[in-house]
Amino acid sequence: MSEDAKFHDGNLHDAKLHEAARRLGSAAAERVDVERIAVAVVEQLRREPAGATRPGWIQPAWLRIAAALLLLMGGGLVVRQMDGPKAAHDAHFVTDDLTDLSADELRDVFNTLDETLDLGNTTLPEGDLEDLDPQQLRAVLRSLEG
Amino acid sequence: MAQPQSIAATPAPAPAPDPALIAAWQEGDEQAAAELVRRHTRALARFLAGAGAPEADLEDLVQEAFIRAFRAVNRFRGQCQFRTWLLTIGGNVLKDHGRRAARHKVVPLDDSLTARDGNPHERAEAGEAEARLAVGVGELPRLQREVFLLRAQQGLEYDEIAAALDTTEGAARVHYHHAVKRLKEMLQ
Repeated sequence: MSEDAKFHDGNLHDAKLHEAARRLGSAAAERVDVERIAVAVVEQLRREPAGATRPGWIQPAWLRIAAALLLLMGGGLVVRQMDGPKAAHDAHFVTDDLTDLSADELRDVFNTLDETLDLGNTTLPEGDLEDLDPQQLRAVLRSLEG
Repeated sequence: MAQPQSIAATPAPAPAPDPALIAAWQEGDEQAAAELVRRHTRALARFLAGAGAPEADLEDLVQEAFIRAFRAVNRFRGQCQFRTWLLTIGGNVLKDHGRRAARHKVVPLDDSLTARDGNPHERAEAGEAEARLAVGVGELPRLQREVFLLRAQQGLEYDEIAAALDTTEGAARVHYHHAVKRLKEMLQ
């Protein structure tokens, strides 16, 4: 086929394509009842004025996303709460707090413990509590905790 | 001597342009909204049907597109004609309808190509070409499909299409040419 013939063939094809494209959907559009649509649109606008529509963030899709996020966060918190023995944390905090006490305060603590606990064989060091270093204090407290 | 008076027929009042009708609707004039619907329904229905809307749902889709357009009319800045803007809203409505249909396993059947006036032979030929084109258009990516329909079916210029689809004129041209190329391949 010559270039000229190809050109005309191409043009013809384009023309047919455009002709078909122009007709596309025409028959269906002709069968549409324009007046009925006009009435229905006006009625719906009257029934649901623009101000009555929900803002975007209250649309159901956003609400679903927010609910899913809330569930995830709640689930994460529950898992964190259940993860690891709580008692071990408490004991650790008790020993840490006690190292900050002065000798007099520690004596008061031990006296209180003496009153509430049966110490059995536990012996308190002979010397002044002020002379104990934090490690020794921890050892004493652990022996008290049993 | 009295000059003969020229008797001129009173010209029919020019129809109100779209921006005037939009402004009137925003002031609460329902008849202005109805007039806009009457003016643009056929073009919108043709666009939707061409893009693959099932005929059974066509009126509902047209109605929904108009409702969305009137609700969002404050965001219409006149960057393109009202009709072009309306057609792009129609494209979104059709996309949402397609999603819903897919969820409910509805297979859209378009019988809009079966009824024709004119010579039965020509009708059959034209109908066949159109049916094949409709299938081809349905297989195009969305942007190519919309650009093709806005250009070839609605006869819009590229700058108008670009403004409506929030793209550049060059990109609109590229989409159109890709669409035509693919359609030619499909139709051969």
